[in-house]
Amino acid sequence: MKSFAKIGSVFLAVSLVAGLSACSPASSSANPASASNQKVTLTFWNNYTNDPQHIMADTITEWNTKNPNIQINASATENNAYKLKIKTAIAAGNAPDIIYTWAGGFTQPFVQANKILALDSYLNDGTKDKMLTGALTNITYDGKVYGLTYNQQAGALYCNTQLFDKNGVKIPTTFDELLAAVKTFKSKGVTAMTVGEKDEWPGMWYFDMIALRETGAQMSLDALNKKASYNQAPFADAAGKLQDLVKAGAFSANVLSETRDQSVAEFTQGKIPMYFSGNFDASMIDASSLKGHVTAVKFPTITGSKGVDTEYLGGGADALAVSANSKYKDQAVQAIKFLAATYSSRMYLSGGGLPEWKYDDIDESKIDPLSKQIMSTIVQGSTGSVPAWDLYLTGNDAQTHYDLVQSLFGNQITPQQFAEQMQSKVNGNS
Amino acid sequence: MKSGCIIVKENANVNLEVRSSKSPFNIKKILGVILLAFFGIYAVIQLYPLFWLLLFSFKDNQEIFGGNVLGLPGVWRVSNYVTVFTSGNVGIYFMNSVIVTAVTIAVSSVLLSTCAYAIVRMHWKLNNVFLTYILLGMMVPLHATLLPMFIILRNMNLLDSYWSLIIPYIAFALPIGIFIMTGFVKGIPKEIEEAACIDGCSIYKIFYHIVLPLLRPALSTVAIFTFLSSWNELMFANTFISSDRLKTLTVGIMSLAGQHATDWGAIGAGLMISTVPTLIIYILLSDQVQKSLIVGAVKG
Amino acid sequence: MEKLLRDKKALLLFVFPTFLIFTTIIILPIFFSLYYSTLKWDGFSQGVFVGINNYKNLFMANTDGFPRSVLNSFILAVVSVCIQLPLALFLALVLSRGIKGERFFRTVYFIPVIISTVVIGQLCMKIFDPDYGIVNVILKAIGLGSLQRMWLADPKTALGAVFAAMLWQYVGYHMLLMYASAKSISTDIFEAATIDGASEARIAFSITIPLMKPILRVCVIFAVVGSFKAFDLIFVMTGGGPLHSTDVPTTLMYNTIFNRSQYGYGSAMAIFIIVECLVCTVLIQKAFGKDIEY
Repeated sequence: MKSFAKIGSVFLAVSLVAGLSACSPASSSANPASASNQKVTLTFWNNYTNDPQHIMADTITEWNTKNPNIQINASATENNAYKLKIKTAIAAGNAPDIIYTWAGGFTQPFVQANKILALDSYLNDGTKDKMLTGALTNITYDGKVYGLTYNQQAGALYCNTQLFDKNGVKIPTTFDELLAAVKTFKSKGVTAMTVGEKDEWPGMWYFDMIALRETGAQMSLDALNKKASYNQAPFADAAGKLQDLVKAGAFSANVLSETRDQSVAEFTQGKIPMYFSGNFDASMIDASSLKGHVTAVKFPTITGSKGVDTEYLGGGADALAVSANSKYKDQAVQAIKFLAATYSSRMYLSGGGLPEWKYDDIDESKIDPLSKQIMSTIVQGSTGSVPAWDLYLTGNDAQTHYDLVQSLFGNQITPQQFAEQMQSKVNGNS
Repeated sequence: MKSGCIIVKENANVNLEVRSSKSPFNIKKILGVILLAFFGIYAVIQLYPLFWLLLFSFKDNQEIFGGNVLGLPGVWRVSNYVTVFTSGNVGIYFMNSVIVTAVTIAVSSVLLSTCAYAIVRMHWKLNNVFLTYILLGMMVPLHATLLPMFIILRNMNLLDSYWSLIIPYIAFALPIGIFIMTGFVKGIPKEIEEAACIDGCSIYKIFYHIVLPLLRPALSTVAIFTFLSSWNELMFANTFISSDRLKTLTVGIMSLAGQHATDWGAIGAGLMISTVPTLIIYILLSDQVQKSLIVGAVKG
Repeated sequence: MEKLLRDKKALLLFVFPTFLIFTTIIILPIFFSLYYSTLKWDGFSQGVFVGINNYKNLFMANTDGFPRSVLNSFILAVVSVCIQLPLALFLALVLSRGIKGERFFRTVYFIPVIISTVVIGQLCMKIFDPDYGIVNVILKAIGLGSLQRMWLADPKTALGAVFAAMLWQYVGYHMLLMYASAKSISTDIFEAATIDGASEARIAFSITIPLMKPILRVCVIFAVVGSFKAFDLIFVMTGGGPLHSTDVPTTLMYNTIFNRSQYGYGSAMAIFIIVECLVCTVLIQKAFGKDIEY
């Protein structure tokens, strides 16, 4: 059987060499084709699988009709699977021409590995003027722009006015009022707030918001940029405030096993008076029977702290980028300018997002009412914003942050330990 | 449930009830009743998920999350099924799943039965080493292989084709299948093959005419497992396929989930649609296992 | 016969295609992972060679709870072998001897294996729900209200709840294997035994089970390896939480590779899982000893 073993080992060696050499990105895809008359097909991967209003699909069809020589071939993958898929494809050097991505920490590793095209030289044709101020902040790395955002997030406290009226509670504007409201609701057998902490990020939104009110935008940003320590009183105080809510019974007792879908359903069923979350829940709330009975207000301020009520949690989130390996860079950039601008308005109209591009030309009366309220009361006239931290921090740090916030919900650590560990595990490990 | 009628048709070879009824009032009979009661209760428990899925597929998120979790849907939302059939190309997805799964089962059955036979019966030095080598395949955590496999499939130019699913599915069906098969091949009395050998059969004929028929229950069992794993596989199918015309059914169903909003009722309807063929395949194949009793009786 | 069984051409034909596909698709990625596991690497940029540091971090100076996740998977393996397999064996033995409604039971018992893990996960989350979940409802109904728990939200009970669900889901899987094996046993043997007046229990213990030994070994190895590699249902039900109490090596690995972007460290976990499974498989093979010869 020796001959057989020999064949086997030869085969193994050959395939190993072939496989390992494949780790470097394919070199064939690097030559840019610039002939404008040539018909090209751009591949575009995104996560718009559940797109009931066909916003993504219609926009692509529109582009394809207008540009017979530059056709977009889109492929949508379910959100979680999309993250695996795009990371794998980019790592293997096989990214599509146009990439849907999240601004901030998600895109940063791709940028650092030179997988994403810098767009600066393409944007001086007036594109920047069409966008809102600060729209590109979260997608700028080392002073260069690597994508076009088209949708921003903003945190809002959704309040069910029916429940507030019925229980004689006033919508809180300070944290003390919030705690008092929680206790009043509690005494009437109503759980005041809901959060899908099994999925981890929803609880983080609560913490990050409270932290913003404690520290003010600048200190939060400094800590996120590793210029300031998390191990300071305001961060520990914020953790303490979150635990105060937990201890006051603001959330249901099985908060750690509730999913985010579950928590939204509880709110839209009219069982829960308050829900702090992003604007992305607005369309779901407006689609439920609660429509018209929910108001989206600023998160309460904390008396005696630096945060002011004109600062909000959020910023540019969804973005389109172009692969550095794309054969048709010019065409791809041209396409994302159209796509990003169009989505920005259409998603705002539908309640799916808040705009990043100027939206003077859209019919105000058609905008989803809750989104409009969030845009006018929280985003417009704001003096500062901090992205949800998982947007800002890269993978490992974001996960650590999630875990620590979950420990707060589970009463596993003290506020002081939280602040210390945020500093040592997130800022200390660079 | 509709399976109830099956009991009536049932024609068991060795029937506990019949045998114990020879002598009434004995302990055996009481035990038989207890046993049957136990089996009945256990059947209800096992049947419940299917029933629950059926109800689930007619509900909306409000009911699924807290409004009405376990009861009958307030309104039977047939619209969930309409959603599934109108979003994307469910017909094409279904056919893709059928093609991928069928090829996977056909090819892997041939490979794993020959290979298991060679490992157990044929004389070569490395058979145990080879079996262990193959078993490594059972031990690989799937998620760690995603990137390497992507690179390998890309270099073979197979990404975004049926083969990018079929080949990995076959590869992962092999270790489990070969391992189960070796267990069964060992159970076949050698005398049968030896008798055939005296008659002057070639090794291929022995395998095809003597061994393979005896392995039918095992092959059916393995085919069930292979079917389940490739029919339900999600990660590879999501990652290696980008063209809509090549997507499989599970990917199509999970596409009903969104980043911020997921219509769980429609997903339930989709899962119901994909479960029915699975159930049919299982019933057909496991009947093969039962029928094998007759084959097994033809003993040398 | 001997000569036939030494036919090299036939051997090559029988073995080589499997070897080829298997090596390319499964063994090659293991080598990739082995290589990645020596790097500090985020999956995208240039990796830095760190030798065996990633492996050291698994157990020494560990910060992410890997040892605990390994312990969890060991517990799962033990309960699988001690509870799940005996139950499956009992069902398989009775069914294969022909109980009334054999076909119906055999079909129904397999249903949890057939149904998508997403559904089973959702169902189990409802079953363990503290308010309307059937577990708490029953406890209250039979006067054991004091035993009610926030099953999946409490780090103390979540592991048990998830394991219970996993054991239950795969009973049918093992049952089918054992059933097929028991069915393959020639009826002549049973007939002879029945004529001799042996009881059903005696037939099971002295004839059926010994003859099923090869498949029982397969089942034990599947149960153990399956426990070390368990992922799907845990991922759906708890995602490893709350507070990492239900983490097993694979959920931690998934998180490490795809959420924490620590590809090198995650690959070290993968290699550890492979080695762990391999060692246990060899040990179990040894423990079962030689097969009965006919």
